[in-house]
Amino acid sequence: MVAGAQTSWVVPAAVFVPLLGGCAAGLSSAWSEKARRLVLSAAAVVTVLLTGRVLVQVSSGEVLEARLVRMTPQIWVHLRVDALGALYGIVASVLWLLALAYSFGYMADEHRLPRYYAFFLLSLGWTVGVAYSGNLLTFLIFYELFSILTYPLVVHEETPEALAAGTKYIAYILVGGSLVLLAIVYTYFLAGGQDIGAPLLNAGVAKGQLLAVFWCFLAGFGVKAAIVPLHGWVPDAHPAAPAPFSAVLSGIMVATGTFGIMRVVFNVFGVELVRDLGVGRWVAYLAAFTVVFAAVLAMSQDDVKRRLAYSTISQMGYVTLGIALLDPDAATGAIVHVANHAFMKGALFFCAGLFIKRLGVRSVRDLDGASKRMPLTAAALTIASLAMIGTPPLAGFVSKWYLGIGILDSGQVWYLAVLIGGALLAGVYLLPISYRMYFKEPSAAVVGALSEEGGSREAPFTMLAPLVGAVALVILLGICAAAPFLPLEVAKSAVEGFFR
Amino acid sequence: MWWQWAHWLPLAVLVPLGFGVTTPAVAGGDGGRAWRWAVLGSALAAATTLALVVRVAREGPFSYAFGGWNPPYGIEFRFDEVGAFAFVVASLGMLAIVFSGRYAEHALDPARIPYFYTLLLLDIAGLIGFSVTGDLFNMYVFMEIISLSSYALVAVSGERTAEMAAFKYLVLGAVSSLLVLFGIGMVYGTTGTLNLADAARRLGGVGSAVPVAVAIALMAAGFMVKSALFPLHVWLPDAHAIAPSPVSAVLSGLVVKVGLLGTFRLYQVVYRTGIVDLAALDQLFLWLGAISIVMGAFFAIFQDDIKMMLAYSTISNIGYIVMGFGLASKFALIGAAVHIFNHAIIKSALFLAAGAIIHQTGYRRLSELRGAGRGMPLTAAALSVGAVSIVGIPPTAGFLCKWYIALGAFEAGRAAFGFALVFGALFIFVYYIRMVNAFYFQEPVHADVVHAGDPPLSMLVPVWVLAGLCLAMGLAGKIPLTFITPAISRLLAPIGG
Repeated sequence: MVAGAQTSWVVPAAVFVPLLGGCAAGLSSAWSEKARRLVLSAAAVVTVLLTGRVLVQVSSGEVLEARLVRMTPQIWVHLRVDALGALYGIVASVLWLLALAYSFGYMADEHRLPRYYAFFLLSLGWTVGVAYSGNLLTFLIFYELFSILTYPLVVHEETPEALAAGTKYIAYILVGGSLVLLAIVYTYFLAGGQDIGAPLLNAGVAKGQLLAVFWCFLAGFGVKAAIVPLHGWVPDAHPAAPAPFSAVLSGIMVATGTFGIMRVVFNVFGVELVRDLGVGRWVAYLAAFTVVFAAVLAMSQDDVKRRLAYSTISQMGYVTLGIALLDPDAATGAIVHVANHAFMKGALFFCAGLFIKRLGVRSVRDLDGASKRMPLTAAALTIASLAMIGTPPLAGFVSKWYLGIGILDSGQVWYLAVLIGGALLAGVYLLPISYRMYFKEPSAAVVGALSEEGGSREAPFTMLAPLVGAVALVILLGICAAAPFLPLEVAKSAVEGFFR
Repeated sequence: MWWQWAHWLPLAVLVPLGFGVTTPAVAGGDGGRAWRWAVLGSALAAATTLALVVRVAREGPFSYAFGGWNPPYGIEFRFDEVGAFAFVVASLGMLAIVFSGRYAEHALDPARIPYFYTLLLLDIAGLIGFSVTGDLFNMYVFMEIISLSSYALVAVSGERTAEMAAFKYLVLGAVSSLLVLFGIGMVYGTTGTLNLADAARRLGGVGSAVPVAVAIALMAAGFMVKSALFPLHVWLPDAHAIAPSPVSAVLSGLVVKVGLLGTFRLYQVVYRTGIVDLAALDQLFLWLGAISIVMGAFFAIFQDDIKMMLAYSTISNIGYIVMGFGLASKFALIGAAVHIFNHAIIKSALFLAAGAIIHQTGYRRLSELRGAGRGMPLTAAALSVGAVSIVGIPPTAGFLCKWYIALGAFEAGRAAFGFALVFGALFIFVYYIRMVNAFYFQEPVHADVVHAGDPPLSMLVPVWVLAGLCLAMGLAGKIPLTFITPAISRLLAPIGG
């Protein structure tokens, strides 16, 4: 046990409140809609408060932990929160809260709501569990549960396309999960079951074994993090899933892969060892390729959600690149980008969902002139797109700034071209949507929507509020980036620990 | 203390045997009374074996000498940690018998029902006896009791396909019994004793290794037929799929373990004598285990019949355990031994849940069972829990074995087999995903499936007890793991230690 770590009930509570909420939702088929919403919102709000409290305590330098159950004679299922985990936990719970509120509107006329809400909240619990894992076994447990028990959400629509996407999802995720399992077993074999904290492995182990473990980890998490060429499930799963779930799928689930890579690089191997192994370079190549390749593919996608999915792949490439550079500033940028990207991509998927629900439009081409029908949504989409590109003073700028500084620091200047090229390409695939909405003549679909009811097709308040909330966060995380408890500060303290 | 009473050990075998033999007389043709009598008998057996487990956990292994004739001259029962399988047998047997109550009413000829319970109890008695016996010949006797009652149980429905499956099972089972008997005879011939511990002692002083090696080979081959290791598995899928579901649970969860338990006993005899180098056998187990994992899963993918799928998945899981034996490192053996227990629980949960679904809907093909998740939410959920567990998703019971055997593979320096293990499990997941899809996400074909409703409590409770155990045995994995470790440590202890 690490000195200074103190046992706290808040940590397991943050994991179990959403899990219990999910179980309650699963049994809610006989409840009134109002009662169900009340319980769900309560669970999500309490989770935000709990993860918030954990963040505040962890930021003040405490290490919180809780032991749950002893699974094998050697290893406990053990929660232990550091700065990185605390940040990830709160980002997840806030995005989930927004997406849940959005679901109330979006899913209102969909089928099998108890099942949807149950798995939706459960997956929040698993995510917080991943963030707060104190050792690799615990990490694996939550990671696998999280990967597999989101399958019902991916196939929720039960259409043949959704089932096909679900099969693809589960195949990719299981292969990735198995690689992670192997890597974790190997790590356990080499290093024993210590807590996540100081690097687990050291240079005393044969280099071949270290390389095997590293690449096993990277391939495993790379599937989740959608590193090209392991990204195949992302573009199919996102359009198939309901929009609020796409938002968390893109914002958090894919990012969990990069979270895993952070844990591997910073906590399992440690920066020094990764540098000695010389693998950072190769990961950086892969990441840079991912950024550009996915961005280029995104340009040619007509389905809005598919385009956004490719954008996610590209943006996660930034995060992986930031980790692989092994530079404190780049790492800060990577961690902050996970948080920022969650809300930017969340906002964008919320918009995409509104187009589907309010206009019945899935394709970019049909969005011509939509701003006249949905002015607020159009504005939100534009702001989020600008943030994604990295326009100051919005959120995306902050993370890319730090990534840029890190690139220059580490002396690998040509990655700057990747950084800026990726941002430009983001402009090329995102801004045309705004352009079409504002400056083109209304398309047939939009006109049709107009003639049916006339006037505004703006979404009801329940769906607009989360969208506005996400956009407000995108602005806030840009303007007040340096305020205490916001991602930048927390990321800096986390990185300090990693680069000691 | 109550658990220290010496006679619990023989009682553990005599109780189910006695209850089994008396069932037809007590029932007098009344199926309900036969059921109650059988439930009582199996519950008493479970209580008795619990006392044994408590004692072995507190005091370590202990023996019982019949009639006060000490081994090696008298008959010895010996209870060690691996013998705790007897408790699993009795408890799962009890759940299967409880489950059978309503199932048998529906599925069997009423005149046969009392005999059905007799056979089940005899099977349980044989399994308990096999787990606790301390001598080779009784091992064979109990194995025959198990086999004969199992053949009859497969055929109990009286359908033509069931008779065919039982006959196939019988032919291969008889061959395997013969192989084991030959092996036992050769051990007796070389050592002059049938007592396991005594044989282990005397084998060290045997002059020629050849007859011992032949004996080991014969017994291992016989046991592997019993365990349905690929390519000796051909009898299993039909027998397990066609038998009534509670019987499938007993056969798949418990009876196939006879071969594994027997192999373990064989190891206990020969492992430390050093007279025969077991490396070749280990190597064989390792490869056949790996092939079993993959082939079992591969065949399962193409099954539409839900019980057939589960039967093939047993072959896969036997592969895990045999591979664990073959790796022969401490972690791998612990994982294999614990999986003998855990697989029994998981597979029983799966077969009973599948049986409940078949009982309620009358369909047994996945393509016909679409929408079962809506019709029978609790049963389908239990089946899903079992599926997640058998695939080895953490933190369920099946995960422990994957973790330990993979760890053992690294420990033994055979990382490639850890790879095979983990990716073999992926194959298995493919067919469970098909099942989950059919139950929950695909358009129903038959309206009666959607309106079937969950089964009566006497079926639902055993199913959920087992499904709960699938979760609990993983989370509380420390308990079985620490329980079994001394037995493995003794097995691997250096000679003379």
